[in-house]
Amino acid sequence: MSQAMIQARGLTKRYQRGGETLVVLDGLDLEMSEGRFYALMGPSGSGKTTLLNLIGGLDRPDEGSLVVAGEELSGLDGAELAHWRARNIGFVFQGFNLIPVLSAYENVELPLKLTPLSRAERRKHAEYALELVGLKDRMHHRPRQLSGGQEQRVAIARAIATDPRVLLADEPTGDLDRKSADAVLELLGRLNREFHKTILMVTHDPHAAEHAGSVVHLDKGQLGRIEHNQPLAAGAS
Amino acid sequence: MLIPLGYNLRSLWVRRSSTLLTVLGLGATVTIVSAVLALQHGFQSMFTAGGREDLAVFLRPGATNEGDSIFRRDLGARLVNTVGEIVSDAGGPRASMECYLAVLARKLDGGETNVPLRGVQPRTFDLRAGELEIVAGRRFTPGSDEVIVGESLVRRLQNCGLDDVIVLNTTPFRVVGVFRHPGAFASEIWGDLERFMPTLGRYGPNRVIAEVQPGTDFEALSARLEGDKEVPAKVLSEREFLESQTRVFSTALLTLGRVLGLIMGIGAIFAATNTMLASVVARTSEIGILLAMGFRPLPVFVAFQLEALVLGLAGGVVGGLAALSLNGVETGAMNWQTFTEFAFAFRVTPGVLGSAIGFSLVLGLLGGAWPAWRAARMKPTEALRLE
Amino acid sequence: MARLVLQNLLRHPLRSLLTVGAVFIGVFLLCLLLSVVTALNAGVDAASSVRLMVQSSVSLFVALPISYQQRIAQVPGVESVVKWQWFGGYYQDQSNFFAQFAVDPEQQLEVYPELEVAPDVKQRFLARRNACIVGEQLLAQFADEWKVGGTIPLIGALFPHPDGPEVAWQFELAGTYRSTSGALDNRTLFFRWDYFEETTDLEEAGVFVLRVAPGADVSRIMAEIDGLYANGPQKVRTTTEKEFQRQFVTMLGAVPLFVTWIGGGALFAILLACVNTMLMAARQQRHDVGILKALGFTDGAAFRLMLAQSLVLCLLGGLLGVGLGKGTEAAFVTVLGTFFPGYVVTDQTVALGLGTALALGLVAGIVPAWTSARLDVVRALRGT
Repeated sequence: MSQAMIQARGLTKRYQRGGETLVVLDGLDLEMSEGRFYALMGPSGSGKTTLLNLIGGLDRPDEGSLVVAGEELSGLDGAELAHWRARNIGFVFQGFNLIPVLSAYENVELPLKLTPLSRAERRKHAEYALELVGLKDRMHHRPRQLSGGQEQRVAIARAIATDPRVLLADEPTGDLDRKSADAVLELLGRLNREFHKTILMVTHDPHAAEHAGSVVHLDKGQLGRIEHNQPLAAGAS
Repeated sequence: MLIPLGYNLRSLWVRRSSTLLTVLGLGATVTIVSAVLALQHGFQSMFTAGGREDLAVFLRPGATNEGDSIFRRDLGARLVNTVGEIVSDAGGPRASMECYLAVLARKLDGGETNVPLRGVQPRTFDLRAGELEIVAGRRFTPGSDEVIVGESLVRRLQNCGLDDVIVLNTTPFRVVGVFRHPGAFASEIWGDLERFMPTLGRYGPNRVIAEVQPGTDFEALSARLEGDKEVPAKVLSEREFLESQTRVFSTALLTLGRVLGLIMGIGAIFAATNTMLASVVARTSEIGILLAMGFRPLPVFVAFQLEALVLGLAGGVVGGLAALSLNGVETGAMNWQTFTEFAFAFRVTPGVLGSAIGFSLVLGLLGGAWPAWRAARMKPTEALRLE
Repeated sequence: MARLVLQNLLRHPLRSLLTVGAVFIGVFLLCLLLSVVTALNAGVDAASSVRLMVQSSVSLFVALPISYQQRIAQVPGVESVVKWQWFGGYYQDQSNFFAQFAVDPEQQLEVYPELEVAPDVKQRFLARRNACIVGEQLLAQFADEWKVGGTIPLIGALFPHPDGPEVAWQFELAGTYRSTSGALDNRTLFFRWDYFEETTDLEEAGVFVLRVAPGADVSRIMAEIDGLYANGPQKVRTTTEKEFQRQFVTMLGAVPLFVTWIGGGALFAILLACVNTMLMAARQQRHDVGILKALGFTDGAAFRLMLAQSLVLCLLGGLLGVGLGKGTEAAFVTVLGTFFPGYVVTDQTVALGLGTALALGLVAGIVPAWTSARLDVVRALRGT
């Protein structure tokens, strides 16, 4: 049986907007297995980005329990969450969010600076990650010298440089043309198949969702249906 | 784990025009404050240069400067002969009487000013043997209507060149020599005491100077003499006397420097804060990704604070260099205490430069504090617009 | 349009506040410096055209025989002559600096009609031998210690009391005077000549101030007085009051120059700060300007928008700066009065301060205004 990488019970998150309280996640129960590629879909306002934030430890739930990579996140304070994020999560965003004044290599190396690795070891990891995404020959270029698709792949290299337990991607292909989008999705797929990375990708593009192993639908802060494009390991739900 | 400094340095470079304007603004502030401090240093050090610990200055009790002080002729002589601390040699006590008056003079550029006129006895030259040097012409002949002028006056005043004639009241005096002195005397005109006194209608010298035994306690001597029935006097070492004459002007300049530093500093801090704030706002998503990655707020704060400090350092260096260009520039000012003009040069000392850079660093630190705080307190979800 | 400007400025309150703050400080400093320069020139500007000063040709510090007074008074055109002697004493502590003069009481009031004293004060001044009058500001400074009718003890640094240098001269305060012109400040103590002469046994005066008849030939009178003593015993130099005051100003030498340089430097720094802010604002507002243009805003309107933003911030800062300058005027008069008795924030200074703020706003706003006007809508909206 595959281990549950993510376990949410009664997860609730509210926001204040103009004096009103919006309930974005409403007592959500969810389980995600290790080593699977999930797409998270739903209409605007369904809470998918919020769920991603909570799973990634960028925000804290108001109620409920959330266990990710074996850690109960609702019990951690800000400092502990940051420490946990650095070790366990890799982020990929729609806007790439590379630091423009740093080269591709330096961008990828950045999260490694939070580890106790030596300079030489960091170099090894960073170069390996860049090679994986196929951009080792461009590693000294600045983001503005790269195309959108290349930037996103550097971002992915950055996200996997520390070998995190979970990869979280928020609309990773939103700003890309069809060809680059496909390249990025294939890369994610490869990371999942060859390296067994647990990936959670928020998307509203059904074409992108096809690359995932399972599709989780959210509606109004609650779990909708779950579809599986690929069979799960025996015994998992 | 700290954010690499290269990130901050390169960020400053990328926003070049902003960085440059801020650095220049900080630099201007630093230059001005440094210039005032350099002025004070120049004034203070030149005026008091050569002030000796082994030379005593006797004034009338209660006098605050030479102009206020006056002795009766005979009493001055008695002082010289009765004060035991005064050193003697084959020629008698090593002491001399001098009269002093700030006289009106016309400057070469047309304005007017007051110049110290000092009537000395021949003994004064013995006492000043190591400090005063005739660089042109010769000493005046005692008993004659001749004068010698300090070097700096030649370039600044009318009628102060060799062979020129200075008219005091109704008596003409010929300039027969030019002398050099490291300190205040370089801005004076010297002549014979015996000729100046009648010309100016004085009945006695303003002061007595004398070499005293090493280790003389000036305070005790002064206390003893102030109560003396025959020749009451106030005594100071020459060094202390010269310093007392600079106090008002020096304090005024230092106060000016501090007030300017405060006012302009506040303005500079505002400017630095503005620049850093704009930078932080523009780099919101960068900050967001750093925080999301797991960098703690403290390294983010330190990073932006360092960036501001670099601005401060650059401003300090630029401002300091500009101030350095003033070093040695000659200027003149009226010493309000003596009411005479004194020529000196800006002196940009390592101390002044150090203060300048330190000041600028503080400006950078204070200016960058709030934006750095803003950056550190960002929530990654807001910064990355993930809501 | 005005609302748009305000909206944009309020959208970044801290940035706007800081810019206003920077201009505020700069203009305030400018006011301060200009007021100091005004103070330095106060005496010169307010000099009377019917007063002349007679001093020794040698030095300010050489006194003239009092016998000169009568002969000077006899020169045709001279209406009244008063003699002045600088006393150079201090009250309690040397840091309490203010001017003191021994003068002929009646002639003083004749030669200086702008010196206003109440009739009872004048009467006391003329009646009591050791009476003195002090300027309004001076009494205000020492209001706790000096009372009309009481005594003011002064230590004579230049003229010690015959009983000993630590013995204070005792002056009875007859009352205050008010000077209605800048030629005489309100911080001086005048006491009677006869008291001075009998206590010191001296018969010399530092300067003679005389009033000439209106329309008199001033150059002729000056030449005639100088000629009286061309051969001694003490040669004199007669000058107009303006020249006399100016002599003190030129003696300051490079001080006005310093002030100019400092003011210039400060303004330069502020200008840079403003330009920087406006450029940053323009950069940040590219997108918004793009939208406005897409909606129909003309290039000219975009130009005016940017310029208006700059002007509003700088003018506001300027107003605050002159406001504070004016507001602290009284405080500075008290603090700096010793060295700069004529310190005042004139209308001219205020106008100059505001004008500078306006100029700052224009110069700082011109480049961003121009770039906004030329902004390509498509590129702005695309965010490149």
